[in-house]
Amino acid sequence: MGAHLGRRYLWDAEAEPDPLNMPSFPAELGLPGRQPRAMVASAAQLAQARVPLEQRDFCGHHLLRLLRCQRDTFPVPWQCHPLRHRWDSCQHHDYVMRMKEFERERRLRLRQQRLRQRHGDGDGDSE
Amino acid sequence: MAAGALRGVLWPRAAAGLRAARAALAAPAGARAASEMSQDMMPGPYPRTPEERAAAAKKYNMRVEDYQPYPDDGLGYGDYPMLPNKSQYERDPWYQWDQPDMRHNWGEPMHWDFDMYIRNRVDTSPTVVPWHTMSKHFLLFLSIMLIMFGLGEIYPSYRPVGPKQYPFNDLYLEKGGDPNKKPPTVIHYEI
Repeated sequence: MGAHLGRRYLWDAEAEPDPLNMPSFPAELGLPGRQPRAMVASAAQLAQARVPLEQRDFCGHHLLRLLRCQRDTFPVPWQCHPLRHRWDSCQHHDYVMRMKEFERERRLRLRQQRLRQRHGDGDGDSE
Repeated sequence: MAAGALRGVLWPRAAAGLRAARAALAAPAGARAASEMSQDMMPGPYPRTPEERAAAAKKYNMRVEDYQPYPDDGLGYGDYPMLPNKSQYERDPWYQWDQPDMRHNWGEPMHWDFDMYIRNRVDTSPTVVPWHTMSKHFLLFLSIMLIMFGLGEIYPSYRPVGPKQYPFNDLYLEKGGDPNKKPPTVIHYEI
């Protein structure tokens, strides 16, 4: 971990994604037929459960079920392990999606550089 | 009423009588008890002649060679000796002092700021490591830490992942957005 930091700060910053400006390419580029992410729990449900804002993400429904189970089975800690695993697994897939987004951004930036070099002037990111 | 008037007369008369009796027994103003120091033991004016210096040194139980009064520049202390500004911490802890807690012997000349230099207060002991070594080490550490933190601010470190995605237009209402206005549409896609 640090190769991307070395490339960004000491090498070519144009080829490395900037996490503060992501995504900088259209969502459909290279991935036709992309589905938007589905949110299962509603905003009202999350607000009623007083879930912290950082945890009101696309895994919110798993978290709500887990909290409900923990409240019902307190103080026995092992009865909610399956729900806990489902929430953790959802968070893991969410993190893997973030990694894939980063990699997609990086490959599109490299492609943009190659196109610029090939055409000579700023004609980068269209098909 | 008669008793009250009588009391009003008797009380000041009794007080006056007491005052007269006390005055008869009292010494003249400015006199001191015999248990206190006599006038020749008190500090005096700045010594000008060598005889005055010798007499002042004898008064303070010091040798004439050691005796050095404060300079007479208008802010001096008369003939009181100028002793080195060392606290009682620097005196030998193993010697059998007459007053072990003060590390002071009977009759020894006391520093003008003796009450400041006692072991509960100011300590002038030398540092274990020389001062310039200490300050060099500290400034080196401080500068290195500040430079590293500054570099961390200019070039932050992050994981090679995209930002976390939130629903409901990046939690527009939850973060205090205006419910009457239309929020900027943010759609996140699966990948």
